[in-house]
Amino acid sequence: MKQFPLRIGVLLICMLLLNAGAAAQKRTVNPATGAVSWETSVDGVALLLTQILPDQVRAFYLNRGLPAEATEVYATACVYMTVLRNDSAPGVVHFRQADWSVVSGGASRPPLSLEAWFERFEVYELSKSATIAFRWAQFPAEHDYQPGGDWNQGMLTTGLPAGAEFDLVVRWDVAGRSYEGVLKNVQCAN
Amino acid sequence: MRWLVVLWLSLWLAPSQADLPPLTHNLTAIAEASPAPELRLLSMDDEMIDIDSLKGKVVVVNFWATWCPPCIREMPSLEALHQETKARGVVVLAVNIGEDIDTIFPFLGSVEPSPSFPILLDSDSSSLSRWKVRGLPTTFVVAPDGSLAYQAVGGREFSHPDLIEQLLHLMD
Repeated sequence: MKQFPLRIGVLLICMLLLNAGAAAQKRTVNPATGAVSWETSVDGVALLLTQILPDQVRAFYLNRGLPAEATEVYATACVYMTVLRNDSAPGVVHFRQADWSVVSGGASRPPLSLEAWFERFEVYELSKSATIAFRWAQFPAEHDYQPGGDWNQGMLTTGLPAGAEFDLVVRWDVAGRSYEGVLKNVQCAN
Repeated sequence: MRWLVVLWLSLWLAPSQADLPPLTHNLTAIAEASPAPELRLLSMDDEMIDIDSLKGKVVVVNFWATWCPPCIREMPSLEALHQETKARGVVVLAVNIGEDIDTIFPFLGSVEPSPSFPILLDSDSSSLSRWKVRGLPTTFVVAPDGSLAYQAVGGREFSHPDLIEQLLHLMD
């Protein structure tokens, strides 16, 4: 009988240890715009995704001078406003988008890269100003964030069709140690 | 009208302010001091501004665009910093990336308080590679001797007293 509380205690400690790396995920809907956001915070790094609906993407890029055909291809690629921020990681956060994974339907691949987009856009004639706006509105492909508030906000594309659901696995390292945060069951609305 | 569309889209594309992280006032010291890269651009007032001619002052160089939500958020605090420190040897320069005056000018009128510091025009974005910028906004602080002193990636609250104090210390 005396062993029973001990077993419970060990079980609780194991559960706590298993949960130590897990982080709560929050899903919110902006009452003004209807935009859905998914966010989490892992080991001092905050991650936020907000879907930008195709009509919003079209309006943004057509206004920046991107050709209509190129805009259409991009707007229907499941675009998210992405925020990553080093709030209190134990050092400089270094990441490369090429190391991240969009996991959906049993398949896994990185978000679409800037290079991939410019390859797709080769058939269209992009003006200099449209190219610059497109390039710099994307979430950086690679960066180093100092602790205490370095961050970026930019667009990220999954390439998935409307209606798809996916997990986004974001990976980074701090002083050679690898970390990852996951946003689960993110939806791509029409 | 175009600036209204840009402003509306910027706000629409951004998560609500409540969802976004608050702006901090931290600057990262650049460990290995190196000379500031070249920066010689026309301002919106058609004045050629060369950072080399600003030796002896603390220069805050902010890279931004009107469609960048964090750039919009931090712009009023840059103006407050400018007003607070312009008589004490601090110069604020905001380098716009890839946009024309017809887009920038009306936008600035919508910012409260409206920026009165020089807005430089980098029409081909070439300054970004020289300054090794990888995302907007990014801000550098150049010490009076012309070396890079601090860097901030992402939006900041530039009018925070601690940050102002940090900049003024460079004048000592």
